[in-house]
Amino acid sequence: MEKELRKQANRLLEEGTVDCIIGHAQGSLKFTTTPLITGDKTEISNLIISPFMHNNLANYLIRRHGKTGIVAKGCDSRSIVSLIQDKQVSRDAVVIIGVPCSGLVDMAKLESLTGKVRDQIEAVTVAGDKVSVKLNGKKKEYPARQVLFDHCLGCEFPTPQEYDCLIGEPVAAINDTELSSKKIADIKKMAPQDRWAFWQKQFSRCIRCYACREVCPACFCERCFAEESQPHWISPVPQWQDNLVFQVIRTIHVAGRCSDCGECERVCPQHIPLRLLSREMYDLIDEMFHYKSGMDKNAPPLMTAYEMVEAEGLIR
Amino acid sequence: MENETEKEPRIVGFLCKWCSYAGADLAGTSRKKYPANVTVVKVPCSGRIDPLFILKGLSLGFDGVLVSGCHPGDCHYQTGNYRARRRMALTKKFLEYMGIPAERVQASWVSASEGNKFAQVIADVVKDVKAIGPNNLFCAEGR
Amino acid sequence: MNSKKINKKDLKKLLDTWRRDFNLIVPVLENEVITMDVWDGKDTAFIDWYRNTVVPPKANFLPPGEKMISFEKKKDGIVLEIPRNGQRQIIFGVRPCDARSIAIIDDVFTETYEDTYYLSRRNNTIVIGLSCNSPYDSCFCTSLNINPVESAHVDLLFTDIGDDLLIEEITERGKGLLNMPDTIKKATKADTEKGQALKDSLAAKVTKQVNVKDMEHRLQACFNDREFWEKAAAKCIGCGICTFLCPTCFCFDINDEMLKKQGARYRSWDSCSFKAYTRMPMENPREERWRRVRQKVCHKYQFLPANLGVTACTGCGRCIRLCPVNWDITQVLAGVPQKEAARSAK
Repeated sequence: MEKELRKQANRLLEEGTVDCIIGHAQGSLKFTTTPLITGDKTEISNLIISPFMHNNLANYLIRRHGKTGIVAKGCDSRSIVSLIQDKQVSRDAVVIIGVPCSGLVDMAKLESLTGKVRDQIEAVTVAGDKVSVKLNGKKKEYPARQVLFDHCLGCEFPTPQEYDCLIGEPVAAINDTELSSKKIADIKKMAPQDRWAFWQKQFSRCIRCYACREVCPACFCERCFAEESQPHWISPVPQWQDNLVFQVIRTIHVAGRCSDCGECERVCPQHIPLRLLSREMYDLIDEMFHYKSGMDKNAPPLMTAYEMVEAEGLIR
Repeated sequence: MENETEKEPRIVGFLCKWCSYAGADLAGTSRKKYPANVTVVKVPCSGRIDPLFILKGLSLGFDGVLVSGCHPGDCHYQTGNYRARRRMALTKKFLEYMGIPAERVQASWVSASEGNKFAQVIADVVKDVKAIGPNNLFCAEGR
Repeated sequence: MNSKKINKKDLKKLLDTWRRDFNLIVPVLENEVITMDVWDGKDTAFIDWYRNTVVPPKANFLPPGEKMISFEKKKDGIVLEIPRNGQRQIIFGVRPCDARSIAIIDDVFTETYEDTYYLSRRNNTIVIGLSCNSPYDSCFCTSLNINPVESAHVDLLFTDIGDDLLIEEITERGKGLLNMPDTIKKATKADTEKGQALKDSLAAKVTKQVNVKDMEHRLQACFNDREFWEKAAAKCIGCGICTFLCPTCFCFDINDEMLKKQGARYRSWDSCSFKAYTRMPMENPREERWRRVRQKVCHKYQFLPANLGVTACTGCGRCIRLCPVNWDITQVLAGVPQKEAARSAK
């Protein structure tokens, strides 16, 4: 599949269809990838397809000029479509190289299962629904469901919906929402005051690095409310109250654009379970407005659309 | 008899200029009696309301937030209140998931001629908020 | 230097005595994140699993957010209150790379102006180092002339030599903590030899290398090479992880927060990676991302060496292992051309 990907990327650059290719390359640490953004044909051989290609590359399309060829998994393509719906990206300015994705390996889960840290693990290979891990020369197998990211377990559309060329065959969705959203279900079993106390505790650890915001393709505002001083909504001082307001409002602001790619939670250095917010929002929108983000590039964005009758019973 | 030292709930009300604010005016000129717990903020349209305002109100210490606009179909700007409806519905449900009691975030449609309804809405909202006690959600040392 | 030793099983006894008089901070694992927090007194199991924290030790002296002064308008005037810091504390488990970083930041906060907020915490803190037995694959301290068994800038250095922990007394302050003649014994020749051998074997475990020879001048030469810096900055997303989690970064923002008649002035971490960092009413001199990335690299390897005489990077690798897009400073530095080959492209 990698060969086909590189062939396509090379072709696009050669023909001059695009001036830049955005994809994934091998990272400088084990079991990581890094974005490859290049217009140089000689670097195309660095493109890879890997169970660690977690970055949502749609992020790099924001305020980008020129024509770009972009590698997109299912969730990435939905983010691209969301950006097109919001008129942040023009459909003509991107050539989407779709890569069907069978799910990415969550190294944090593997570390938990093996009791080892990422750099102490020798090899990780994915074969079908099993993940094989090599530790101290010995191999151990885990069912993929124990090792894939939660958001991959709950993924409905692993094959890109919008693409210009597809690398490989479409894959079936795992779509195990019960497993994927178990932690959310646990939250819902808590009483309101306990839920609030849980969030208070989590957000006391937030240092406001804004990694969650910067890695998210749905956050494309040139100036974020968090940085406004007139009016002064929240303080830059990382106190739990403002951290919580920041995250809740960010989740509401990206409602309808978030494709549950899980990047926000993965990049948080303090392991704050942000997906408990974004996935719940994702499900709420589906339930209330029957809307899934990034499925139709011609559809109006969620918050600009409306039905004549909806949200009954919530407003006096 | 009501306990006189019991603290009265403070509620911030975002009222759309064309309908709800006018409705509130009408309630006033008609000398309707209703609780005085609401601090009014006039906005041009309920569609102006960013969920950020609601959360900011709660974080400042208001015990309840009310957003009121024109009835669907009657928005002065045609579609503003449709947007508000989606936003308010989403915000209410999501904040409830976070652990904020539903009574603290309220929304209503009040037209310019509904002085009575406005007074009733305020009375109901104040009653709801009073029943769940003061807002200590964002309290802690250092704030 | 006098070397002592303590059996790992007795470490708890030692920490128990410290806990009586000091706020004792040790490595803890919370929410799957290694951090430092007040010791719960239960056990010293952290000796076996601890590698390095996510948030560096600078947070003990320059916290992510701190109150500088609070003010309240009362009937007869304005009342000001400055918070009192300076509880006596011991930080146990600071790695040699982080220990050097503390020395660097100490310089910054005392050189031209003595920062009382920083110093009230710093002067009341005893730093106890712990040699690094398992560097990460992102560590590159040896390239910055730091050895995983280095004893500089700490009051005591503990080294794991198997069943025992070797203790090197560095300062008088540190020495004064070792008042347990029954538990703390003198190290034998064999013990000190073990410690010496570790110096080499652990340094070899640091696999990431980068040649920083003459880096200050190499960076100066390619400062205007826009193409180089645009390429280096291409995948950076502009969050604050590398700067916030860097043990030698120290930039901060000051904000006044108030409501009605009371408020406070706070200091909080800021990052040159943020666009707003240099935003001014008329212009932003670092509008484009490549300028901010260049600033970050040059501040560490060119400007601070020129101003303070020390490279402001300790090779702890946090920026590499925690970056959302695996931006790797060692790769960028390796790409900086030799002075002679530098271009000044427009």
